[in-house]
Amino acid sequence: MQKWWRSRKWEQTRVLWLILFLHVAAILIFTRGFLLTRTELPYYSHCSDLSHSPCFSSSSSSSSSSSSNSSRCWTKPAVDRIVIIVLDALRFDFVAPSAFFGESKPWMDRLKVLQKLASERGSSARIFKAIADPPTTSLQRLKGLTTGGLPTFVDVGNSFGAPAIVEDNFIHQLVQNGKRVVMMGDDTWTQLFPNHFKKSYPYPSFNVKDLHTVDNGCIEHLLPTLYEEDWDVLIAHFLGVDHAGHIFGVDSSPMIEKLEQYNDILEKVIEVLQNQSGPGDLHDNTILLVMGDHGQTLNGDHGGGSPEEVETSIFAMNFKKPPLSIPLEFDSLSCEQDLDRRKMCISSIQQLDFAVTLSALIGVPFPFGSIGRVDANLYALGAGTLDLEGTDIENCENQSKLEQWMQNYVNVLCINSWQVKRYIDVYSASSVIGFSHEDMLQIADIYAQAEENWSHSTKRLLLQKNECSDSLLPALKMQIDLFVNFQTSVAELARSKWTEFNLNMMGIGFGIMLVSLLIHFFSIKRVTRQHGASVTSCEDSGISFGLIVACFVVVIRASSFLSNSYILEEGKVASFLLATTGIVKLRYSVMKKRMLLEAVVFLLLTTFCRFTIEVGLSKQAATSQFLNVYPSWMMSIASGIPALVYAAEVVPLLVLIFLAYLLYKTISSSIFEGVWKYVIMGAILSYMLIAVHWASESSMWSLALVSYGIGRNCIPQIVYAIGFGQLLLLAYGQVFNKDKCLDCKKNLIIRTVGMLSTWSPVVILLSGKQGPLVALASIIAGYCIIRLDNIEQDGTSDVLAVDPLPVTQWNLLAVCLFFCTGHWCAFDGLRYGAAFIGFDEFILVRQAIFLTIDTFGFSHFLPIFGLPFLVAHQYMSSKKQFILMRLSQVYMIYGLITAATVMVTMLCVTIHRRHLMVWGLFAPKFVFDVVGLILTDVLICLASLFSFGQVEDDVPQNESTEK
Amino acid sequence: MKTNATTSSVKASAEPEAEVSASSHSISASEALFVHLISGLGLGLAVLLAHYVFSVNLVSHPSLTLRLIWVIECPIVILLYSRYRKNREDCSYLKAVGRGLLGLPVGALVSALGAIALGTPVGTQYFSKTISWSLMMSLFTIVPAASVFGVSWKDWQRIFAHTKPVGSVDLIICLPAHGAVIGAWFGAWPMPLDWERPWQEWPICVSYGAIAGYLIAMVASSCFILARATLQHVKRD
Repeated sequence: MQKWWRSRKWEQTRVLWLILFLHVAAILIFTRGFLLTRTELPYYSHCSDLSHSPCFSSSSSSSSSSSSNSSRCWTKPAVDRIVIIVLDALRFDFVAPSAFFGESKPWMDRLKVLQKLASERGSSARIFKAIADPPTTSLQRLKGLTTGGLPTFVDVGNSFGAPAIVEDNFIHQLVQNGKRVVMMGDDTWTQLFPNHFKKSYPYPSFNVKDLHTVDNGCIEHLLPTLYEEDWDVLIAHFLGVDHAGHIFGVDSSPMIEKLEQYNDILEKVIEVLQNQSGPGDLHDNTILLVMGDHGQTLNGDHGGGSPEEVETSIFAMNFKKPPLSIPLEFDSLSCEQDLDRRKMCISSIQQLDFAVTLSALIGVPFPFGSIGRVDANLYALGAGTLDLEGTDIENCENQSKLEQWMQNYVNVLCINSWQVKRYIDVYSASSVIGFSHEDMLQIADIYAQAEENWSHSTKRLLLQKNECSDSLLPALKMQIDLFVNFQTSVAELARSKWTEFNLNMMGIGFGIMLVSLLIHFFSIKRVTRQHGASVTSCEDSGISFGLIVACFVVVIRASSFLSNSYILEEGKVASFLLATTGIVKLRYSVMKKRMLLEAVVFLLLTTFCRFTIEVGLSKQAATSQFLNVYPSWMMSIASGIPALVYAAEVVPLLVLIFLAYLLYKTISSSIFEGVWKYVIMGAILSYMLIAVHWASESSMWSLALVSYGIGRNCIPQIVYAIGFGQLLLLAYGQVFNKDKCLDCKKNLIIRTVGMLSTWSPVVILLSGKQGPLVALASIIAGYCIIRLDNIEQDGTSDVLAVDPLPVTQWNLLAVCLFFCTGHWCAFDGLRYGAAFIGFDEFILVRQAIFLTIDTFGFSHFLPIFGLPFLVAHQYMSSKKQFILMRLSQVYMIYGLITAATVMVTMLCVTIHRRHLMVWGLFAPKFVFDVVGLILTDVLICLASLFSFGQVEDDVPQNESTEK
Repeated sequence: MKTNATTSSVKASAEPEAEVSASSHSISASEALFVHLISGLGLGLAVLLAHYVFSVNLVSHPSLTLRLIWVIECPIVILLYSRYRKNREDCSYLKAVGRGLLGLPVGALVSALGAIALGTPVGTQYFSKTISWSLMMSLFTIVPAASVFGVSWKDWQRIFAHTKPVGSVDLIICLPAHGAVIGAWFGAWPMPLDWERPWQEWPICVSYGAIAGYLIAMVASSCFILARATLQHVKRD
């Protein structure tokens, strides 16, 4: 008997499961094309690894001086110290002379000291055009610069909340090999490398409006540190240009002031370094790098892949005297006459190559995950002064400097190629989504060719280099070409894998989504038809006004996502539309002269919603740091005015007690029996506990009864436990408790109230003190929607088709609640604090669950579990099949609205995939929407299983009576 | 189908009594066109006056321009529409003017509240702009109806809830009012865009939308009235 019911129940929800499955498939496929993912490998390079490579033997045997060999690891150190000055968002045209561009702009030629050095001392100082890979955000770029990889939007393996780099990287290698690193400036570095720096002077980077704090901090420490001996690598990260760009744009006087300030600082730094660069001095073998992490557009935006954003600059200068002339034939150079009619050449470098080139210069192992190539020009700048094997001169007088240098470089490239090949092999072996087999074969082929050439001809030539031969130079060149060829193809493959969208995948995912939407639509129609035939002979009601308004609202909201401005203001748009539907309903109620009060109250509530959303949006402008200071928006308003502070403490408690009272009133009415009564009593208890918890936390009352330490974690834990117990009770009631309630509508209400009272305490607790207010507002708004839905029905006729307008309103209300509770569609909009209510220690799964409940509690959990009210309160008739039909229709319409919105979001990210804000705005919005959709589907499935179960209870009875 | 049925039934029931009331204050097509023409000209005059005499416009001085519009439009609308007041026997011309004047602030309050519910920015710097805008909206929507219908709830309901204008007076009230509201609603959409144009500020583009909607609706209502007149003409023949 029971089995039969169960199967029927599953049959009812079969369509919902099918839709869930389709959505998951569509989203997975689409995401694989759109959100590029990469697995972080936990492997590190070590000095000893080199014995596995084909290159080591050559360098060891060719080296006659064992003393120098002992200090070397993978490559011979070419420089002793590195000074890296990072100027955030340094456009290429900030550094390069204006002669390189068509016309001179106000912001060009401001860093004159760099241009002067580059043109005067072309052999030891050079400007490079550095090409970054998108996403061009500081965090991703610093990661790319230090790991030599291509960070994607989602790096699988990223630790929760903390951005620390766990992959092998340049800084890690420095520390491992006994180099001392000093850092000053942007605190992103200390977030990425929490324990790596010997000394660090971090300054907060979150306040974009502050142009000077970070820079002044840097300046304060930079010059004194240059005189100190206790470091090998110095990193100074200036943020002023980035912030000036964000606020004022590139063409503005603050930007020019900043650039001129930097010019002065750089002048001083170079002066200090030059004065100390004599033999035996502090900086006798130091290289200075002035570089940007990414560019910016004229508006100061960055993040995307436009040329303005990816083109930044590196200025490199070697202070060793005298500079040697170095070969310049490996890369395409562009040369122009600068202002003083001097010829200046600028070569191009990939940011990808930065980590490995620096590692080679300072002589540490290359980061394990680096896919860059040791850049010939930058390496030459540092290693051109390399005191190549001292034995060479006596052996072969006619061997040119160039040949020596190339011997060294080819060995470095050999090591480099071997390291890249190793990474690619390990990556495809261990990653979930590796490279394709054909690609791997091709790569292996190219590598085998290069390696064969290496071990068969070049190595032999190198070993025999004591006997001078003319064939050496062409052979070296060919070998270099082979290695470069290999590395270029690897980089190409990696780029296509990690930075290029797969449009086919995206198209397929979108297509599946479209199909699911059609299925959704037709199944709604089908349900209507099926039950329409069985219940009453009711002709299709055609297109009603409500349907038109609902479609219009959904379409307008969906199409608003095509512009980034509307995504930013999504909360306002939702409340605008909600208020519009409210006005439409008001018009109805004026027409029918009924329920005017409800319509007006609903409008007032939308106004309330609208103001809270605006508070939330203003918070969005600031960053997550702000959230930590003010746990909820109420406090942010209230701070300052004592009466308001008091109100902000008291009002939530009063509202909470009122909610508990409402529930108490509900159970005192007789329809609640058995299990359900206990569930609701549990909720009341939870409310009371939360009230006590907040009261004990607040500074205003010093409740002696609850000591701080116990109360803080104990009460939330009890609340969670009660919530869990309630869920168990509900499950018990679902499976075993077969109370044959004759009125199935009442039964539905009981179940819905039970479900809501299970979830609401936890949601309220997690969302903080705004929780009770929002809960009360949503209860009233929901009540108004339900009441207003009844306007058109006279209560006598059973209209079959569900009016989609109330469901749309319900959906809009849910969206508004998401923004009301201080969330927004960005990862810094997540309220991480909520994950730690009741627990201090971090467990990924538990905290992730809490974060999900906090984020989607008011906008998904409660509205969807509350949907049956829309059906239950509506009809005088309580025929089981009738209610069942309405219920599944309501669920499906709700799902359809959400799915349609998400589909347009998918379309929009496809259109805007090359947009500036794709990583800053569209991708987070996509992730939130997609998670929300899946959650909605799952919740709808569960909720309909739960509510159908009850209706099914009575079906056999019903059928038997019919017989 | 069902809604159609109810509509027709309502129509059928409303028609006879409407016919009585409409006949008492229905006006000729030329007169209706004249009302629209004068209202439109008043609007144009206000804009021109703002531009040439005060050398301001909606973008540079929204508050001042809107004030100019409603100050000029106010006497025109009230005096014009009061001529077509219902129940001429019980209600003198002056009384209708008084009703219109009373309707002005009430309508402004309603429009302002509606706008705030929809998301109008609130703050001291927006205060005068919002007031001017809502007075203008009131003149477009509520004031003509107040002058004509007074406190006859049934007529208000017919115009604003059912949107079933009967007769030319209803038409010249109903259509422009709806046009202004719908125009203002659409006018709000460019506001969040990041084009950073001065006209995206509240209430400039909303006012543009409202005025555009008002003008279009006046043209539409003129067409309706003309069509209706020719139809009646044909029927009479």
